[in-house]
Amino acid sequence: MRPLLAGALARLRRRRGRALLAAAGIAAAAAMTGAAVTVSYNLHDGFARSADEAGIPDVIVHFDPHAAGRVAARVKSLPNIASVSLQLEQRPVVLRTRGHAPITSGDLLGTVGTRHGYKIVAGRDLSGRTGEVVIERGLASQWHLHPGDRITVGGPSTGGAVGARVVGVAVAPDNVAYPLASGARIWMPYRVVAAIDGAAGQPVNTALLWVNDRSQLGVTLEQARAASYGLSGVNFVTREGVGVLIDGAAGIVIALLVAVSLGALVGAGVMVVASSRAEVQRRLETIALLRAIGASPRAITGAAAVEAAMVALPSATLGLAVGWWAAAGASARLLEALDQFPRGAALLLPLSVCLVAIVALVAAASAWPTWRACRRPVAAMLRDAELPTGARALRLPAGTIGLGMRIAVARPVRTAATTVVMATSAAVVLLLLGLATTLQRLEHDPGTIGKNYQLTSHSGVLALPRIRRLPGVADAAQRFSSPVADSFQLGETFNLVSYCGNRLRFEDPPLAAGRRATSPGEAEVGQGLATALGLVPGGTLAVQFGDGEEARFHVTGVVRTLDNDGRVAYVQPGVEVCGFRGGQTVIQLKDGADQGAVTAALNLTGNRPATVGGVTSRNAAFLGVLATLLRTIAVIDGLVCLYVLAQMLALTALERRGAVGLLRACGADRTQVGMVFFGAASVVVAVALPVAVLVERLVLGPRAADLAASYATVSLRAGTAEVLLALAGLVLIAVVASAWVARRALAEPITRLLRDD
Amino acid sequence: MSGMSGMVATLRGVRKTVGSGSARRTLLDGVNLELEAGKLTVVVGRSGSGKSTLLHLLGGLEPADEGAIEVAGVRVDGASSAQLVDLRRHRVGFVFQFFHLLPELTGEENVLLPARMAGDGAQARERARALIRRLGVEEAASRLPGVLSGGEQQRLAVVRSLVNEPLLVLADEPTGNLDEASGHEVLGLLRSVADEGQSVLLVTHDAEASRLADRVLTLRDGRLAE
Repeated sequence: MRPLLAGALARLRRRRGRALLAAAGIAAAAAMTGAAVTVSYNLHDGFARSADEAGIPDVIVHFDPHAAGRVAARVKSLPNIASVSLQLEQRPVVLRTRGHAPITSGDLLGTVGTRHGYKIVAGRDLSGRTGEVVIERGLASQWHLHPGDRITVGGPSTGGAVGARVVGVAVAPDNVAYPLASGARIWMPYRVVAAIDGAAGQPVNTALLWVNDRSQLGVTLEQARAASYGLSGVNFVTREGVGVLIDGAAGIVIALLVAVSLGALVGAGVMVVASSRAEVQRRLETIALLRAIGASPRAITGAAAVEAAMVALPSATLGLAVGWWAAAGASARLLEALDQFPRGAALLLPLSVCLVAIVALVAAASAWPTWRACRRPVAAMLRDAELPTGARALRLPAGTIGLGMRIAVARPVRTAATTVVMATSAAVVLLLLGLATTLQRLEHDPGTIGKNYQLTSHSGVLALPRIRRLPGVADAAQRFSSPVADSFQLGETFNLVSYCGNRLRFEDPPLAAGRRATSPGEAEVGQGLATALGLVPGGTLAVQFGDGEEARFHVTGVVRTLDNDGRVAYVQPGVEVCGFRGGQTVIQLKDGADQGAVTAALNLTGNRPATVGGVTSRNAAFLGVLATLLRTIAVIDGLVCLYVLAQMLALTALERRGAVGLLRACGADRTQVGMVFFGAASVVVAVALPVAVLVERLVLGPRAADLAASYATVSLRAGTAEVLLALAGLVLIAVVASAWVARRALAEPITRLLRDD
Repeated sequence: MSGMSGMVATLRGVRKTVGSGSARRTLLDGVNLELEAGKLTVVVGRSGSGKSTLLHLLGGLEPADEGAIEVAGVRVDGASSAQLVDLRRHRVGFVFQFFHLLPELTGEENVLLPARMAGDGAQARERARALIRRLGVEEAASRLPGVLSGGEQQRLAVVRSLVNEPLLVLADEPTGNLDEASGHEVLGLLRSVADEGQSVLLVTHDAEASRLADRVLTLRDGRLAE
C-alpha cells in the first residue's frame, strides 16, 4: 500500500496540470454546493427563526386610539396572557437626517411596557430618556445611520419636530424592512410619541400580546374579540398570520431559490461522479499494469481513493468557501430586506457536512470504478484503455465538425456523463430564466393572477354606464373587497370579494375543485384560505366583518389564486350589492385599446384611474437583491457547464494527441482544430439541450412552481425565448471551451504530438 | 528511373541541435541538399542520426536553428504559421511510419482529410478516387482502418499524402512497421509517385529502398554524404 500511495503522490506531482484540472472541477462543484447550501439554509424557516430571536408578540391588536388604562384593564381580563405591551403608533411622520431627502412615510411607535417585539442589532435599547430613538435596520441601511447619529421626527398634526439621537438599530420581523415596507419604523419613548401626536389622555392604538400557551391561542382570540367590545377599528394579527404574510411576500421567490439550489446540488453531485469516472478511465492502462505486476485490487482501490481525497479536500474547501462568499452577501441582503436574520456561524455545520460529503463522494466515485476495473482480467483492461477502433460505421459528416462528433461518440460513457451534467445545469438555467419571466409577469400582468381588468378607479356605481361608453373600454363593474375574519378562527383574516356585475368576466382564477359560485350565498375560496381553514366544496365559510356582523356562505369551489396568497373568498352575496356605496370600479379594456388614451378619458370625466399590477412587490431594491441571487447561481451554473465541457475536450485532446498532430501535419489551422473540438462539444450540446428542456418542463418547473405557491397555478415552463437563450449560452460555452482546448493543443510541436501517439 | 527535371526543395547550411546544457546534441550540422522533381531520394543512417528531423524541417514541422530551407519556391525558415499551414496544405505530403489514419474515418475519408483542410471539396474527391483506383486500394477505401492490414493502411496513407498534389512527398520510415511483402508494395508505390513527377524524400533502414532510389544519401555526424 505504501508504495502505491507514494506512487499516487508522485503522480499528482508529475501530472500537476491534470490534477489541477480535476481540482478545478471539484472546486466548481463545491462552489455550487456552497452557494446552494448558503442560500437555502439561510432562507429556510427564516421568519420563525427570526421571530423567536426577536421575540415578536403572538398577537398584535390594532384599534382606534383609546386610553391606555382602559385597554390595559381589558387585556388583564384575558386568559393565557404572559406579557403585554401597549403602543401608540403614529403614521405618517416625517423623518429627516442630514444629507438625505426626507421620508414622509415614517412609522413612529412609543411603547408603554418593556417589550417592543424587536431585537437590537446595534447600539442599545431605549432608556426612557427623551431625545433617544431606536430605528429599524432598513432605515439605518438606507440612510447609513449608526448609533450616535441624529434624526428629526415631525408629526403632521403638530407641525413641529423633535430631534433625537439614534441609540440603537433594531430588527422587528413582524414586517418586512423599509423600503420594502412602505413605512420606516422608529421607536421613541412613549411620552415623546404622545407629545408629537398632540393627543391627551395617554392614548394607545396597538396592543402586543404574548401568550403562555400558543396551542390555546384560539381561545384567547375569542376572548379578546369579546373583550374588545366598545373599541373601534379592531384588527387582530397573529404571529402565524404575520408569518404567512411575510413568507408570502417573498415566499414564491424564496421557495424557488431553495428548489434551484437543490437542483444545483444534484448537478454538482453528477459532475463530481462523472469527472472521477473519466479520471479512472484515463488511468485504466496504469491500473492494468499495476495488476500485472502483482498489486492487489484493494491496494490499488485504496490508493485511488486516497489520491482522489488528496485532490478533493483542498479544492472542495476552496470551492465551498467561494460558493459561500458568492451567495452569503446576496442572501444576507435578502434576509435584511425581509427583516430576518442570517444563520451566521451556524452555517459552518452544514458546510462542514458538505465538505465531508464531497470528499467522500469523490473518493467513492474514484474507488468504485477502480475496484470494478481491478476485478476484470488485465488483458481486457488493456484492451479497453486503447483507443476505439471505430469499427462501427457512423452516419456523421467527415469534415472537421463531423470528425469531432465521431471522436466524441467513440467515448460514449464520458460523453454521456458530460451530457448528464450539462443537461442538469442547463435545466437549472432554464428554470432560472422561466422564473425571471414569471416574476416579471407577476409584477406587471394582472392576468397572471386571474384579474381580467387593467384599470381601477374609485368611482361609484352610478359612474359605470358613462365609463362603459368610453372608447377603448370593453366593460366596467364595481368590485367590493372587505378584510374579514373567520368566525371560528378569528386570527385567520382574509379578503371577501364580491361584484356588482358579472364577476367571472373580470376575475376568474382557475378552479382547483368544485364549481363556480353563481347563486346568492355561495362562495369560491382561494386555495390558501381553504388550506388554512380546512375548507372543501360543500363546506361553510363563516365570516365576521369588522363591525361584528356575521355572514355564512356555502363553499362551491376552491380556486387557485396568488391574490393575497390565496387567502381570499369570492362570494355571491345574498343581497344586491349594487346599491352599496364604496368599492372600486374595475375597468376592462378592449383588445388593442390604448391604455393611455383610456386613462386620459377617465381623468377628463373625473374618475382618476390606477393601473392594475401583479402580485409581487414593486420594490426595485428587493427585486434587485433577488436578481443578484439568481444571477450568482446562474453564473456558477454556467461556469460548471464550461468546466465540464472543457474537461471533456481536454481529455479528448490528451488522448488524441496523434490525431491533432496529424490534422496539423495535413495543414489544419487553429480554426480547423478548434472546429474538431467544437464538433465533439456539439454532440453534448445537441443532446443536453432537449433533455434539459424536458427535465425543466416535466420535473423542475412543476416541482418548483408547486413549492413556490401550492395555492396557485404558476407556470414556470421555459418558453421559446428562454430555450433559445439557453441554446445560445451552451453554444457560447462550447465555443469558448473548444477555443481554449485548441489553443493548448496548438501550443505543442506537431512532432511531439505525433511521437506521443 | 525517371528523369523529370526542376528543383523542388533546397537546404543550405542547415543546422539543428536538440537538448540543452551538457545534453545538447547536434543532429544536423550544416546540411546542404537539393531535391529534384521526379526523383526518389533515400536517406539512410543510424537511429537517432537526425533523418526524421531532416524531414520535419523540410515539412515545416519544426524550425531549424540555422540555414535556409526552401520548398517549391517558399522559404520555410522564418515562415509565419499561416505560411507553414499553406506549405503543408499545398506543397508537402507526409507518410508516417505508424500510418496515423484516424480510426473514426473510412479509408476514403482519411485520404480526403488534407483536401478538407485545404477547403478543396468536389474536385479533391474525384482526385482521391482516381488515386485510390490507380494505387489499387478501392476495397480498403470504404472500410474503417481498424479492420485493415498494416499494408493497406500504409497504402492509404500514401494516397492521403498525394491527394493535394504536393510537389514534395516526405516519407518517414514508411515500411518500418510492415512485413516484407507490404513494405515491398509501399516502396513500389513511392517509386511510381516519383515516376509521376513528384519529388519523394524517403528516410528508411530498408535496403530495398536503396535499390529503387535515384539517389541514396547517408546522414552521419550531422552531415549528408552520397
